[in-house]
Amino acid sequence: MGKLLTRRRFTVDEYHRMGETGILPDDSRIELICGDIVLREPIGAYHAGTVRRLTRLFASRLGDRAIVSVQNPVQFAQEDTELQPDVTLLRPHDDFYTTRHPEAADVLLLIEVADTTLRLDRRVKIPLYARVGVQEVWLLDLTTQRLEVHREPLGNRYGSVRILGRGQRVSPDAFPDFSVDVADLIQ
Amino acid sequence: MSELLTRHRFTVEEYHRMGEAGILPEDNRLELIYGDIVVREPIGAYHAGTVDRLNRLWTSRLGERAIVRVQNPVQFRREDSELQPDIMLLRPREDFYTTSHPQAADVLLLIEVADTTLRLDRRVKIPLYARVGVREVWLVDLTTARLEVHREPLGDRYGDVRVLARGERVAPEAFPDLSLDVAELIG
Repeated sequence: MGKLLTRRRFTVDEYHRMGETGILPDDSRIELICGDIVLREPIGAYHAGTVRRLTRLFASRLGDRAIVSVQNPVQFAQEDTELQPDVTLLRPHDDFYTTRHPEAADVLLLIEVADTTLRLDRRVKIPLYARVGVQEVWLLDLTTQRLEVHREPLGNRYGSVRILGRGQRVSPDAFPDFSVDVADLIQ
Repeated sequence: MSELLTRHRFTVEEYHRMGEAGILPEDNRLELIYGDIVVREPIGAYHAGTVDRLNRLWTSRLGERAIVRVQNPVQFRREDSELQPDIMLLRPREDFYTTSHPQAADVLLLIEVADTTLRLDRRVKIPLYARVGVREVWLVDLTTARLEVHREPLGDRYGDVRVLARGERVAPEAFPDLSLDVAELIG
């Protein structure tokens, strides 16, 4: 049925006006992906706890060097997209992005924690992050206990993808002095 | 990609509120199908002229026995759908449905003229019309110069489907005295 119909693509602006006018419920489980308004999966305990661990890890070690944003919106207006990644490290901004949502260029590192959402993250979200130029994405795969490090966005994909397990260390490109063992990310 | 994502399903009410709030432009090329807002194909000359022929045919023969509605909305709320079929013969109503859009039970005969939209009409719209209980649908297939007469809605399909060509006659069930040659419909 999908290919028979051309769905109306919503812009980021229209998406926000739907929220303001009460047409869409005030619901943090909604995202805008390539013009489609989609419902996010309910978040399980393992996923949620891992996000909390990552939040403390990055916030405590980075201090004022980055803003740690958790399940908050990032806008990619040219792709009619507004997502809420699990964790983003944002360029410091005095107003904490209260006057506008961050965009791709503001993101120093984006982390998705994947369990039931693995295929969606890999097939839809990571190609989208590459296309808009997010410089680095970590996909923390709870199903295999591996970390995928995606760098060098190039069209619909990342040119450099490394898969790391417990005992291996990694640093965000933006913070080479900040090195962490994969075991500290997944427990 | 679509099976990985669960799209927000818009209700008929939300669809209208988007129009009222100016989020959707005044655009009669939009329809709501199973909660998706979709863009209709541009209407070609053969299609448009055939609709006009059918309009005159029914209006002149039916007089006040039915309201002939052309490319105007009909609502199927429980399927989150609002379509604009090419032609509908509606039960007479003094207000001409100015206070509320017609629903399935108001439709005596629904006609779709199909050229480029044939697969969409056959695979999506006719099953929907059956599901909501539209009692009779005629599909005028301009690609084969045939008329498909669908009757007896039963679940997702019609129990009685007949395919007729020029030289064969048919009358709507609601108006058995109004018999027409298929040639009058297709030209």
